[in-house]
Amino acid sequence: MTDVLRRLRYWIESAKRSEALREEMELHLAEKAAELQADGMTAERARSEARRRFGNVGLKHEESREIWVTRFWSELGQDVRYGCRTMTANKAFSALAVLSLALGIGANTAIYSFMESILLRSLPVADPESLVVLNWHSRPPQEGSREWVIHGLQGLFWPGDKGTLVSGIFPYAAFETLREGNPVFSTLFGYFNGHNRNLAVRGQAASASSEYVTGDYFRGLEVLPAAGRLINSEDERAGAAAVAVISFATSQNRFGGPANAIGQSILVDNIPFTVIGVTPPEFFGVDPAVAPDLYLPLHTNVLVDGTGAARMYGDGNFYWIEMMGRLRPGVSIAQAQAALAPHFHQWVATTAKTDGERANLPALILNPGAEGLGSLRRQYSKPLYVLLAMVGLILAITCANIANLLLARAAARRREMAVRLSLGAGRFRVVRQLLTESVMLASLGGALGVLFAIWGVRSLTLLLSNGREDFTLHAELNWSVLGVTAALSVVCGLLFGLAPAIQSTSPDVMPALKNGRGGGPRRRAQHVLVVAQIAVSFLLLVAAGLFVRTLNKLHSVQLGYARENILLFSLNARQAGHRDPEMATFYANLRKRFESIPGVSSATLSQSSIISAGMAGGAYRGTMKIGAVTGVTIVGAGVMAAGPRFLTTMQIPILAGREIDERDQPGSPSVAVISERLARTYFGNENPLGRRVTFVDEKRDLEIVGVSANVRYGGLKEGSPMTVFTAASQFPPDRVTYALRVAGDPLTYVRSVHEVVREADSRIPVTNVFTQAAEIDRTISREITFSKLCTGFAVLALLIACVGLYGTVSYSVARQVGEIGIRMALGAQRGAVVWMVLHRVLLLAAVGLAISVPAALSASQLVKSFLFETQPNDPGTLALAGVVLLSAAILAGYAPARRASRIDPLAALRHE
Amino acid sequence: MGRKAQKNDSLPGSLDMLILRTLSLRDLHGYGIVQFIQQSSDNELLVEEGSLYPALQRLELNGWIDGVWGVTSNNRRARIYKITAAGRKQLAVETRQYAKLTLAIARVMGAG
Repeated sequence: MTDVLRRLRYWIESAKRSEALREEMELHLAEKAAELQADGMTAERARSEARRRFGNVGLKHEESREIWVTRFWSELGQDVRYGCRTMTANKAFSALAVLSLALGIGANTAIYSFMESILLRSLPVADPESLVVLNWHSRPPQEGSREWVIHGLQGLFWPGDKGTLVSGIFPYAAFETLREGNPVFSTLFGYFNGHNRNLAVRGQAASASSEYVTGDYFRGLEVLPAAGRLINSEDERAGAAAVAVISFATSQNRFGGPANAIGQSILVDNIPFTVIGVTPPEFFGVDPAVAPDLYLPLHTNVLVDGTGAARMYGDGNFYWIEMMGRLRPGVSIAQAQAALAPHFHQWVATTAKTDGERANLPALILNPGAEGLGSLRRQYSKPLYVLLAMVGLILAITCANIANLLLARAAARRREMAVRLSLGAGRFRVVRQLLTESVMLASLGGALGVLFAIWGVRSLTLLLSNGREDFTLHAELNWSVLGVTAALSVVCGLLFGLAPAIQSTSPDVMPALKNGRGGGPRRRAQHVLVVAQIAVSFLLLVAAGLFVRTLNKLHSVQLGYARENILLFSLNARQAGHRDPEMATFYANLRKRFESIPGVSSATLSQSSIISAGMAGGAYRGTMKIGAVTGVTIVGAGVMAAGPRFLTTMQIPILAGREIDERDQPGSPSVAVISERLARTYFGNENPLGRRVTFVDEKRDLEIVGVSANVRYGGLKEGSPMTVFTAASQFPPDRVTYALRVAGDPLTYVRSVHEVVREADSRIPVTNVFTQAAEIDRTISREITFSKLCTGFAVLALLIACVGLYGTVSYSVARQVGEIGIRMALGAQRGAVVWMVLHRVLLLAAVGLAISVPAALSASQLVKSFLFETQPNDPGTLALAGVVLLSAAILAGYAPARRASRIDPLAALRHE
Repeated sequence: MGRKAQKNDSLPGSLDMLILRTLSLRDLHGYGIVQFIQQSSDNELLVEEGSLYPALQRLELNGWIDGVWGVTSNNRRARIYKITAAGRKQLAVETRQYAKLTLAIARVMGAG
């Protein structure tokens, strides 16, 4: 091997060496000439004589060079040419191998490019390694106890270790305290997600995601503007002009380019701002999941959200602002944490009001910020690892398959190898040539795989986004992904080429030369590979079965309301400048207009769709009592504000009383419709009509006027059938979701809806347009993606395994022609021959299954969290997977078995 | 230089051996090797000078000799070749083979 390395080094240094050689020869000629001159020749004659004796300088130079340059590469060239010949000689084999590799490598590349974009890529800012995210972790208060220094949260939190909560949101005072005089950060900046806003440009309104940022945000991230200037600390001062920075994409979509946007006036939720700058194209903020269109100075949220928002700045127990810091040069994260954690602890202790609060204070932790905030990572990393494991298995069985086919072919080429070895070819040389062939196959597969990957990334993005407009996860095939693909191809080539290459060049060439038929070990190797493929296919079949079953379970969940023929869309009139009480009338009038669209049988509105209720926040979240004022506290019910004809439109049966209708006005007595389960739980068989629900925190009494059938409220999996519907006119939401019950395809009504809204108020964008069915599927997009992908993967794996099985069996039938001929000559029936072959197939499949069942049982535990009402060891799924596998195996084995039974004994024996 | 010196082509491959032998005595640059072989054979062996360099490259590629930049006796920059341990082993092998061969040839000639 050192030999190869030396050759490689010589080749790499080839230009340098060539120069040295030239110099050496020049010196030689000069010395020779000098000697001849000393013997009495003239200088000129001596030079030409020296040249004459040396011979052709250029030719000799070329000859010397060739020694180190060409031998290596000319041999490689020979191998490649030879490989091409072998590949074209076995077109079917090569095509099959390249195609299956392309599928395997393509699938791996596609999944890996998602992983790369989510898990590995750094923020596109200067020196991302020195960024840190500030988080805290704390035990949440036990059930019933309210003693926690955190009185309110606005932002994301997620489970940490040992039942703790982890979050990146802080009170504003904490940000100020940490910012002041800290020795570890060169800048500490804050930001918070402003969510979707109504962005009006020259009278055209559209929804835009926003981020509020402190004055140091862009300085800390070291981002330079694509045009204009970015927000700085001047913009944060009291009385500063309301300015905004927009993303590059927004500048293109809304202004026709970054330069055009600068100085333009825009309306953000009907509040005027001036665009001062555009971020660079690659910049997406600090969270790849958010990718804001609009950056606003932190304190302008008071302008946009109303003076009520000013309270959050002064409340030390309200957690909302996120922070990131840039470490000073030479400071490590651990040092920074050691410096800041006590500082934060000291501060947070001053906000604790009771001993109970003091006992459980949040503790500061610093995390690397190079990759940005981890919301996408938390959401997708586990699914992606599961998918990567699957495509990895597929690639493994593809390699096994090709190794298997190569083994079969190696046996056929054994005589060729034996001849070459006995003629004196080095074993290493022959192995190298065989490996060149397999790496060539793999490289072709890899190249084709990139095409599959491009397609795969596209369809996976489509599958994952599932129609969401604000889907920010964009994977792409960049150089690092392509590099991994190339490496993967070469490794695959070596992997499936090495064993056959070594076996077919084993030193005992004599037996091969003598009889031309291989011995036992190769067949054993083939059988091991086939068994492994069957085992892996079974694993993938079980996974697919579990995910499909989960999806079926989800689809068979009783919704309690109509899924088809309903169009949903959302409007936010407050963001366009409407205010109470006019807003409620505006919404109510719109509903009537939607109802008058031809083909719409009924229209209603609610604060959100039923399936996503609770995520957007209920109409009321505090304590509820039922019965009398002194009644029982309701546990586990959701409250939803709904407009007239809600139950009719959603086709929810009214079991008693009436639904919410036009009679329920802001001035009239507050009413509620409760679900049957709620009624049964708290009133038993009594009539709930006329009884009361009390919203204790708001001191409001609602009269129960109707009972609805149960609906799955807020999610298919965890949805609750205990629901309180209130009148939207009496509990007016800012943002409403309209539902239209229509004849035919709901999406054909989208245009009419847009027209109606534009007529009513052109400043309001129509957002989240979905059919009810799509809206429901959106909540289970992961399950849908998984079951589709896994089914595809399992079919692919099964196909590959069957090809492997078919190849192996065909090959062994071909080698047993003589034996079968003798058996048939001795009177064996065709059926017996078929059975003889199938028996072997079933044996292989059975061994594969025996290995795989325990593996499947333990591996399926890993995906337990992805399943719904399905046990990881679901016997039905296991049995079905087993049956599918065995049938496929029999199918694959039947063709060669039939061929075996058609053998003409006479011909076979003559052949022998 | 009255008579024609014999070119070294009667024993193919012997150039490698001669180079190794030369370098086993002292480190030399290309021209020095040619001179040494000619002088120590009393000008009986005349190395085809151009062939020296492919041979040197081959020996170096095989790891038998090692060339480093140095200075010649008359102070010019040149690649000075040294024999390596592997080169000495190879020299021993070739010397043995050569001895066998010459002995065999001598026997044949003697028998004649």
